[in-house]
Amino acid sequence: MSVLVKEPTIMTEAAGFNEETVRAASAAKNEPEWMLAFRLAAWRTFESMEWPKPTDEAWRRTRLTGFHLDNFTPFTTTSRQSARAELSDLLQTELDEMESAASLIFQDGGVLFGETHDDLASKGVIFTDLQSAVTEHPELVQKHFMTSVVKPDHNKFTALHAALWDTGAFIYVPKNTKVELPLQVILNQAAGAGGYHHTLLVAEEGAEVTVVDDLLGGEDAMQSSVVEIVQSANSVVRYMNLQDFDHTAWNFMTGRAAMGKDADLRWIQVSWGSRLTKAFLDLDLMGQGGHAELLGIYFPTGRQHIDHQTLQIHRVPNCFSDLLFNGALKEKARSVYMGIIKVLPAAQKTDAFQRNGNLILDSSARADSIPGLEIQADDVRCTHAATAAQVEEEYVFYLMARGLSRAQAERMIVQGFFQAVLDRVPVESVVHKLERVIERKIGG
Amino acid sequence: MSTLEIRNLHASVEDTEILKGVNLTLHSGEIHALMGPNGSGKSTLAYVIAGHPHYEITEGDILVDGESILEMEADERTKAGIFLAFQYPVAVPGVSVANFLRTAVSNVRGYTEQADSNRGGVIGSNLMPMRDFRRELTAKMKEYNVDSSFARRYLNDGFSGGEKKRTEVLQMAMLEPKFAILDESDSGLDIDALRVVADGINKLATPDRGFLMITHYQRLLNYVKPNFVSIFYGGRIVKTGGPEVAEMLEERGYGWVEQEFGTGELVAA
Repeated sequence: MSVLVKEPTIMTEAAGFNEETVRAASAAKNEPEWMLAFRLAAWRTFESMEWPKPTDEAWRRTRLTGFHLDNFTPFTTTSRQSARAELSDLLQTELDEMESAASLIFQDGGVLFGETHDDLASKGVIFTDLQSAVTEHPELVQKHFMTSVVKPDHNKFTALHAALWDTGAFIYVPKNTKVELPLQVILNQAAGAGGYHHTLLVAEEGAEVTVVDDLLGGEDAMQSSVVEIVQSANSVVRYMNLQDFDHTAWNFMTGRAAMGKDADLRWIQVSWGSRLTKAFLDLDLMGQGGHAELLGIYFPTGRQHIDHQTLQIHRVPNCFSDLLFNGALKEKARSVYMGIIKVLPAAQKTDAFQRNGNLILDSSARADSIPGLEIQADDVRCTHAATAAQVEEEYVFYLMARGLSRAQAERMIVQGFFQAVLDRVPVESVVHKLERVIERKIGG
Repeated sequence: MSTLEIRNLHASVEDTEILKGVNLTLHSGEIHALMGPNGSGKSTLAYVIAGHPHYEITEGDILVDGESILEMEADERTKAGIFLAFQYPVAVPGVSVANFLRTAVSNVRGYTEQADSNRGGVIGSNLMPMRDFRRELTAKMKEYNVDSSFARRYLNDGFSGGEKKRTEVLQMAMLEPKFAILDESDSGLDIDALRVVADGINKLATPDRGFLMITHYQRLLNYVKPNFVSIFYGGRIVKTGGPEVAEMLEERGYGWVEQEFGTGELVAA
């Protein structure tokens, strides 16, 4: 008996996009010739790459059925800036709640608002929108922007991003310079549009900085973002990516940190929103003594689909990496976690951990967890673990026997489940905000 | 003066009857020790009084001051004044002792009504005032020999056996029940830990509170003196008397119970 298997097509070609779209995006921003050339080269790369197929390992569990890129027109204009009082209540609240060294808000393909509370300039710290950095700091942008950490041909989405990138922050912290308060970046993704948000963070030797990327809005929109973190020796970076898009948004992300000798990184990845998220997150330990933590939380509800794919690469000896992703799922939500710890032959004395915990709150939800190790050195300590559990009735009874209602008990257990990550979130206002979202998600 | 009354209580798990007609009346100010061999159903009785949903009550009743509590959920029973100190308190990762106890105390003392799931985000708005709660918790932690660092620690997570049992006593002190059911509060404790737990129980044994103290061994009774001792065997109470019953058990062992009251099959763990 022969079975006819029809390969499903998962995407349409970008019919509405062409090289002219790229030229228009660049022209609207009065970009220098080199950036236009970069974009056009990236566009050619995009065109030459195949769309992911459902048979690709990375896309087997995350189908793009219903996604049509040409539905999401990119911005080819720059937006105008607003006064603080003109911002929406939501954005003003976001600004008010965090005590930041400086804040930048992006919307409609450009900067909507910016303010600085700290004298960053006198320290030589650059915190500006990437578009301005292209003209004001071309040598730094040319050196770091999608040249080594995430290159355009990293995947189909990064190629598209390189051709069409619009918003995003450029953060440069010079040698031995410390920025005490967090730098806050907010993207308010416009409804119905396609956005390409970029974060380029360069920490020179001994620099210390905390950056919070807040991703909001996105009704019926598409966002394809890239995060690049470049850490020189002894630098300390705390990075939070807080994605809370509308539940109709398509969200694609590629984030990667390249870490030098004795560099220290803690990356918090939060996935609350979007209809579908596919996020590739890589830690690249390139210098001895590197210490990296990648901590994620997610809580899909309804029909949300959240997919994180992580890679911890240990290239050199004596590095540490710890990954913990905890997610709760409700209703018909779906999550995928796929991770690899890759230890190259030279990377002796590696300490690497990878854990993924899932709390299934409804039997109709589903969590797939595929941890993995690829170890080519013999003197290493690597562990991985994946769990999927329901709220334990014995926990609920114990708390109820102390006077908590069933709802309170379940709520407390779910919050407790996220606590292992919340305990390690370095900015208090972010912790409170995450607690509120968890509360909201539990409540329905 | 309150009364906890257990009348001809029968309870089953998956069609296996474990409690076979328990009768017991406990008044405020009394300490009633319930002794019996492993598997006689003592812990089941504790769970059933506390309202564990796993058990089916097939006959009989449990009353607090004449009102049946059988239809109540576990939390409502706690609000009605019942407290169960667990033999094996479960660890709840990520939930701090202070955070959880503040919610518990606020419920039991009526600061908050049943949590309203339509009002997500209100935890903290209807609770006992933080300052009052903190002050009381700190004082009671000191009184019951629980290190103040435990307030921030996750409930029973990584606690030793003795720390768990002491935390149970602390919770009892905070919730101020009318009736406390102590399920093997002495198990797994060394002599020093046992003494600390026993001291806590003695402090809490006020005239307005009754204790049902479930234990396998005599040793806790050396520190906490019961008014009554009952022998539990084969899912029911087979003998009740004064402290002399415990002494007799100590002398003769549970083998004597079997001879006296028949080879009632072991019904539960």
